[in-house]
Amino acid sequence: MLRLSLRRRRKLLPYLFLGPGLVWLVVFFLVPLLNQSYVSLESGNADTGYAFAWNWSTYSDAVSSYHTQFTRSLLYAGAATVIDLIIAFPLAYFIAFKAGRFRNFMLLLIVLPFFTSYLVRTVSWQLILADNGWVVNRLRDVGLVSSNGRLLATSTAVIAGIAYNFLPFMALPLYVSLEKVDRRLIEAATDLYASRATAFRKVTLPLALPGVFAGSLLTFIPAVGDFINALLLGTPNQYMIGNVIQSKFLNILDYPSAAALSFMLMGVILIGIAIYARLLGTRSLTEAAAA
Amino acid sequence: MSNEDLDGIVERMLDGSEHSRRQFIRHLAAAGLLVGPGSAFLAACGGVKGESSGKKASAVSNHPKVPIGTWTFSNWPLYIDKSVLKSFDKKYGGHVKYVEDINDNFEFFGKIRQQLQAHQPIGRDMIVVTDYLAGRLVRDGFVEAIDKANVPNSKNLVSNLQSINYDPHRNFSLPWQSGAIGLGYDRRKTGRKLTSIKDLFDPKFKGRVTFLSEPYDAAGMVMLMNGIDSTHATIDQITNAIDQIEKAQKAGQIRRFTGNDYSTDLTKGNTWVAMAYSGDLVQLHADNPHLEFAYPEEGSMLFTDNMMLPQKSQHPYAAETMMNYVYDPQVAAKIAAYVNYISPVQGVKEILAAKSPKLASNPLIFPPADVVKRLHPYPSLSPADERTMEERMAQVTGA
Repeated sequence: MLRLSLRRRRKLLPYLFLGPGLVWLVVFFLVPLLNQSYVSLESGNADTGYAFAWNWSTYSDAVSSYHTQFTRSLLYAGAATVIDLIIAFPLAYFIAFKAGRFRNFMLLLIVLPFFTSYLVRTVSWQLILADNGWVVNRLRDVGLVSSNGRLLATSTAVIAGIAYNFLPFMALPLYVSLEKVDRRLIEAATDLYASRATAFRKVTLPLALPGVFAGSLLTFIPAVGDFINALLLGTPNQYMIGNVIQSKFLNILDYPSAAALSFMLMGVILIGIAIYARLLGTRSLTEAAAA
Repeated sequence: MSNEDLDGIVERMLDGSEHSRRQFIRHLAAAGLLVGPGSAFLAACGGVKGESSGKKASAVSNHPKVPIGTWTFSNWPLYIDKSVLKSFDKKYGGHVKYVEDINDNFEFFGKIRQQLQAHQPIGRDMIVVTDYLAGRLVRDGFVEAIDKANVPNSKNLVSNLQSINYDPHRNFSLPWQSGAIGLGYDRRKTGRKLTSIKDLFDPKFKGRVTFLSEPYDAAGMVMLMNGIDSTHATIDQITNAIDQIEKAQKAGQIRRFTGNDYSTDLTKGNTWVAMAYSGDLVQLHADNPHLEFAYPEEGSMLFTDNMMLPQKSQHPYAAETMMNYVYDPQVAAKIAAYVNYISPVQGVKEILAAKSPKLASNPLIFPPADVVKRLHPYPSLSPADERTMEERMAQVTGA
């Protein structure tokens, strides 16, 4: 064992602590990232092989061919995030403030779907939304779906599927931030003649914002890249960018296009987050991450 | 180092002076620079090789007799009478892990391609794939030759399949079943018998139709509808057919593109008409007795699925023993009666006729002469044309 001076050791210790995390990042993030950026600039085909060629046209081709799927992904993920926020906020509020001794039980209920696989949960939506299923028949009775209409294989089904699958990612951060709200602040607000609505608007809501940020990011980011919901609940007219990437990687073996599309997706998301952070302040973003 | 020391360092590290924190970050950045080129080098090593770089496999092989052990057989859904597997285990010992994980040829190839190219075993000892993928696997040297000494029953192979363009001496492949692409439909929903490929485009069935995602099947059928001999189609005729499919898809006529999974939506009543494989629907009667299959009047694509040994198969002898077993006409008859596909084994008809005249006249197992005339084998395309076709189709199906 090397004998190092105390000073030395003190200097090295932080790296030692960071080591496992850094190694993980390098091996499972940085290396694949660089590898894929390299692949994305290759040209060739599956038969003759791909060779590196600084082939930037893959990127421009990807935009011109697949901008519909890009826009669709952003729209679907955005819609699902908003729906989740609308559903999860009252839910988290109730659990944090009103659930009392049922609090842990209700949290368990939120997490419970994770005990089965994502795929199985999505396939079960095929059964729920089936053309001759109970749900569609009741909606037909009240005239919300036309007699020959359907839910399965529509945008509604895909957005519903995404919203359902990602709800816990919204609900849990919201719960954490609501649960942290100091009740005395609300009491103080009402003591100062704020109505309950005003107290909610001026005290609870701002304090819950980090949860809203964290929840929105945790929902939106994976939802943009999702392909399972569109694959199982949609038609090719609902396919998202994830479907394109999946098909390019696995079915037509066009690795450069698949890699280029992945990078553009990552770029779009990063730009989105940057704008989000600008608008809402980086501080709340990091707070959100901490929450 | 005492505990107090450690705590002190951690504390200083966490909220230490601005100076040391900056220094720390600078060190990290330097480390990153060192790592960076290293990973670029790694990335360079990971370049993707082409398929054609593979060497052609030897056409002969010698697989010594060994105990069967536990081995894996990958096949399509609804493609065997599972009691055959049990009796195989009983007769030869060992245990066959039977996996129904092939839903679509190209999708399956996408799954195993990386390992094949890296010359690694794919975790399956025997696979069953359709002619065009079989041809590609032979061309790329991704399969092993079958040791014919272990498959004496292969002499029972029907004469018209004994040779095929990609494998003239059947060194690498042995047909599993043949079948036709046709119309699968729910009689109750369509309200009438379907007889034509045009029925797939009937606006009354808008949004209730599924097509197969494999262009050999989908484009082949559309070409037959248009009166084109799809066995000798040019790539332009094929892409025109795909254009036509795309138009129907965009118009909302086609609900989904499927592999073997067309059966799910069809049995549940979500779809009414499917481009379907001939034998499946009989097996699906248990779930929905109103399902029917029709050989369209314009003709059908004829497919043959082949048993193959993927390269580095870990239990080739077990797989060959199975090949030999299913080429015993008695066993083949059992499978044919169950799956309702066209058996490649001679003597099946006689056995079934003795058992039940109804089975011997089953048009799915023994297509009548006028149907046989309308069965069209797949075209043999150059690798480049095949890729053009696949990429064009993927734009329609995959996004």
